Amino acid sequence: MADDDDVKEYRWETGYEKTWEAIQEDDQGNLEASVAEIIQRAKRKAQMERKGHTRLGMMRHMYIILDASEAMHDQDLKPTRQLCTLKLMEGFVEEFLYENPLSQLGFILSRNKRAEKITELSGNYKKQLEVLKSNFGQPNSCSGEPSLQNALELALSSLKHMPSHAIREVLVIMGSLTTCDPGDINITIQKLKTASIRASLIGLSADVRLCKSLCMTTGGDYGVVLDDVHFKHLLSTHALPPQAAAEHSSSALVKMGFPHHAPTDNKTSYLAMCMCHLDSEEGSKLDGGGYLCPQCRSKYCELPAECKVCGLTLVSAPHLARSYHHLFPVQPFTLIPIDQNRTPSCFGCRVQFKTIDKQVYKCEKCCEVFCLDCDMFIHDTLHTCPGCSTNQQTYQTLSSES
Amino acid sequence: MAVYGGAERSLLVIIFDVHPCQKIITNHQHRFHQVLEAVIAFSNGHLLMKPDNRLAIIGCHSGASDYIFSDKDYAVVPTGINDGQYELFAHVEKCIRKNIKQFLSKMSNNLPAGESLLAGACGMGLCYIQRMKRELPIGDKMNSRILVLTGSNDSASQYMNYMNVFFTAQKENVVMDVCTLEHDQGLLQQGCDITGGAYLKTPQQQGLLQYLMWVFLPEPPLRKKLVLPPPVKVDYRAACFCHRQLIDIGYVCSICLSIFCKFSPICTTCHALFKTPGPPPSKPKKKKPKM
Amino acid sequence: MVFLDSENDSSSASQSASRHSNVNNKVIDLEDSSANGILRHKALQCANLYEYLITLPEDVIDTLFSYPIICLAVYRDLPDIGKHYVMRVLFVEQPVPQAVIASWVGQEYSKEHTEVVEVLSKLKVWQEASIPGGLPAWALNITFKKNLKVAIFGGGSSWGCNPNMEADTKARDVEYLDKYAMERWECVLHYMVGSQQQEGISADAVRILLHAGLMKRDDDDGSPVITRDGFQFLLLDTPAQVWYFMLQYLDTVYARGMDLAQCLAFLFQLSFSILGKDYSTEGLSESLLTFLQHLREFGLVYQRKRKGGKFYPTRLALNMTRQKGKSEISSQEGFVIVESNYRVYAYTDSNLKVALIGLFTELLYRFPNMCVGTLTRDSVCMALRSGITSEQIIRFLTLHAHSLLVAKGGPVIPPTISDQIRLWEKERDRFNFTEGILYSQFLSHSDFSVLRDYASEQNCLIWHCDKRRTMVVTKQGHDDVKKFWKKHSKGPISNC
Repeated sequence: MADDDDVKEYRWETGYEKTWEAIQEDDQGNLEASVAEIIQRAKRKAQMERKGHTRLGMMRHMYIILDASEAMHDQDLKPTRQLCTLKLMEGFVEEFLYENPLSQLGFILSRNKRAEKITELSGNYKKQLEVLKSNFGQPNSCSGEPSLQNALELALSSLKHMPSHAIREVLVIMGSLTTCDPGDINITIQKLKTASIRASLIGLSADVRLCKSLCMTTGGDYGVVLDDVHFKHLLSTHALPPQAAAEHSSSALVKMGFPHHAPTDNKTSYLAMCMCHLDSEEGSKLDGGGYLCPQCRSKYCELPAECKVCGLTLVSAPHLARSYHHLFPVQPFTLIPIDQNRTPSCFGCRVQFKTIDKQVYKCEKCCEVFCLDCDMFIHDTLHTCPGCSTNQQTYQTLSSES
Repeated sequence: MAVYGGAERSLLVIIFDVHPCQKIITNHQHRFHQVLEAVIAFSNGHLLMKPDNRLAIIGCHSGASDYIFSDKDYAVVPTGINDGQYELFAHVEKCIRKNIKQFLSKMSNNLPAGESLLAGACGMGLCYIQRMKRELPIGDKMNSRILVLTGSNDSASQYMNYMNVFFTAQKENVVMDVCTLEHDQGLLQQGCDITGGAYLKTPQQQGLLQYLMWVFLPEPPLRKKLVLPPPVKVDYRAACFCHRQLIDIGYVCSICLSIFCKFSPICTTCHALFKTPGPPPSKPKKKKPKM
Repeated sequence: MVFLDSENDSSSASQSASRHSNVNNKVIDLEDSSANGILRHKALQCANLYEYLITLPEDVIDTLFSYPIICLAVYRDLPDIGKHYVMRVLFVEQPVPQAVIASWVGQEYSKEHTEVVEVLSKLKVWQEASIPGGLPAWALNITFKKNLKVAIFGGGSSWGCNPNMEADTKARDVEYLDKYAMERWECVLHYMVGSQQQEGISADAVRILLHAGLMKRDDDDGSPVITRDGFQFLLLDTPAQVWYFMLQYLDTVYARGMDLAQCLAFLFQLSFSILGKDYSTEGLSESLLTFLQHLREFGLVYQRKRKGGKFYPTRLALNMTRQKGKSEISSQEGFVIVESNYRVYAYTDSNLKVALIGLFTELLYRFPNMCVGTLTRDSVCMALRSGITSEQIIRFLTLHAHSLLVAKGGPVIPPTISDQIRLWEKERDRFNFTEGILYSQFLSHSDFSVLRDYASEQNCLIWHCDKRRTMVVTKQGHDDVKKFWKKHSKGPISNC
């Protein structure tokens, strides 16, 4: 998508669009059906785009740079840009870490012509949001001018030490139209490019050429929000793992530990301090539960974590499994005209097809027929075709792709 | 009175494994009937709890899955027998018997080899729950749960499908309960743990109905107050893609997150080529740069 | 000295210097409704099934348990933990030690356990029993146990009405039945509010309304008029109305020479029957047939012909015992929108509903399909005066809120409005009324102070004024004070 940015015209430069002609009245003169169809089509289109990359950048390391300048007090997003951003960030961080279980996030704020890193990269979203709220959510959090260059340099300095297999990313939320930089920002952009850091930017006010060139050079996405709904949509596109370009990152096998619960089932369960709370203020509690690092037996109370003793990444298998659907997505169903005699009802939810539906959806692999709602549900949430997975020939086994 | 709860309805979807290779069926002919009787009684027990409660049953074996009871069967046709049984219950009983007979007779001839495809049936159940949620009158609330009743063996071949089902259930607030009649099911245990459901391996098959009524009939909000069998320790170790063995420490492909028990130069899933193995301890060090 | 307890203060009757008069003319007096208006009135009590059943004598409950359908209804009405207990002991033949049952719930919920045990014992669902070890145990009521099993699994004996097996040639669909039921029911309500349609209600129905205290004979011409309870009744949702009404009806069953257990069982049978299906009247006793006719009048069943041999239960009869939450009939389209400017928009063409809205609003406009009213202080106070409480108004508005409002989430009535209605009610509660007896016209100040001090010692002095030598004591304390005064005045200074 990033490639054709050069040729893409602005909408006001394109030919005259007769947008109203896409909407047709039905027999009763209602528009609802037509509008619903357009929405459905758009949804399905978005779905089609998402199919089948087996090579995805799953181990993402992303710094989110938030503009914390005066400009964030603007009230064009309700209630203010600052609070709207904070609210959407809460959702985004959670979604990001859900979709990319082994990825890490960090936050950088830019205000008063400086950049400051408020959180290191980590995968613990609760802690991230806590810090973000106290640093960005206060009424006096935003002041002065932002400095894009300082912020990018700061992100660069941390990201370039990441292992080569990691996908390095920067996501900038920019409210201000200006930036106060100490030097030539183009040099920084080049540096980002050589470090193969992908920078994306979401502008809250207007299209800025510099921002656009930043994204284009580094292969990121650039977007300017229309309203808060659009803002959310733009953010959510960053939650899905990007396609891994071969030249950007080298693949690697990472050694990981899959700890089990501390052995409480045998009566000789021993107490231990957990390693994750050792340096926190409340200290670590002594108890029997938790997860043990399979390499050095130190204990952690939640996963994922990185063992502080031996450095092994500790994850649970379901954590990894959460992202497998990106790798093995359900192929899009084909639209077929309804045939009430052969297939009277949806295979998934058993809803009776009505003639008003006109079209139903068929899985090409197992030839079962689904209703629109199930089609959406299967592709968006379930990621498993019930038809295929109840059929001995077509169900997805672990080794289906090998 | 405070003890009278509000009128929330709850939807129960029972996934009923009828695979003929289950030991409980092959060993004793009449055992299956006992299980079926228990399922019927349990279904009616669920409908008994609240007038708004809803029920669906999906039968499942290696060849197919189909609805045994769903909203289509709710139009009560009087059975004509008036023996004091509540009409709805009589009807449900009759429906289940009729449909399961139909379902089993379709299977008898050409059953493909393999295990029961429970994950797919759960997927169907989730679709069904999704629809019921859509059709709910405005302002009403519904708790939904899935009960898997099986005597099959544990196997990792449906791993992906199971995981997708579990995470979807978790996201949609659907509780997954599992009652296994014979073997412990590690994967399904994980599902219960992820979605907050109850897992029980019945110690003896005689009292199946009692176990069902005890552990699985109370709705999840009520379960908090009851003393139920303690949750089992779930084995969250991963199965490697190459040998499907449970491992403590393994290698994960950075591109596709496939798990391998040994280092191999090429990823079998995404065909990525890996660089030299490198001494394992050095890798994690790189991930932790000192700032 | 003589103390008079007469109704009027009568100076003529006083034979003594000290006279007491009765100031309790503002006191609750059930015969005098005009005085009631200014007193806070107790809200209409609508017992639920549990509360109703525990009022019945033990042998009646036992007879009731011999009907599987009632066991089913009772079971459904139990608290969740109670259902769990019953389910677990249902298949156990011996009594179960109480300690064992107590261990079925977590420690922190032992309070709920005690409550549930009380409910189950009061309903006679289980009784205390002893087991060989001498431990106290619970044993399910044998009749209940047997018949609950029958309800779930079948195998009992036939009772009640049978569904017709052959299809009715002129079958009525659900829509028709709903319409019919609502028409009939609204007819009764119409009669109560005295709006048009006065016909179509029988003398028997009027008698029940009178018995229920929803209406009473007017003092002047003896025609029935609505009471304060009646007003509150109108604002209930339909299932609650039906249930309240049926409870009142069942009270009169003995007087009609019908069997209460049989009627209840029949009622529950109806409530568990299938909508849109016709049932045969064959095998019903004579009294049940009469009962059926009454139900027909209120729209709980539909019959094409009186002697047609079949009847259809309607939605009103279905699930009668469920007052909690939304049952099907009340979830018909909501029609009321309340705006924060005190306007109430009601999208309805039903006269009854408009009349109900009119109970507590000032109607501004009336269109064919809607009416507009404003909530004003006067209109709400008028409603409060007629016995409706603020909570009932708010509940009514919430219950019938337009579905768009419900779908939007959040409060369906603007909080300012609900608060204001409550405040208007509070306004009326500035007075506290206490019954009392007035003592006045003491001859000497010492007499007065002695009596005053005595009364205050006894804690029955409500008010006193030294200057005018008057005091008011509570009604309870009156006898005591009177006695004391008699003794006192007979004593050293016997001036009588």
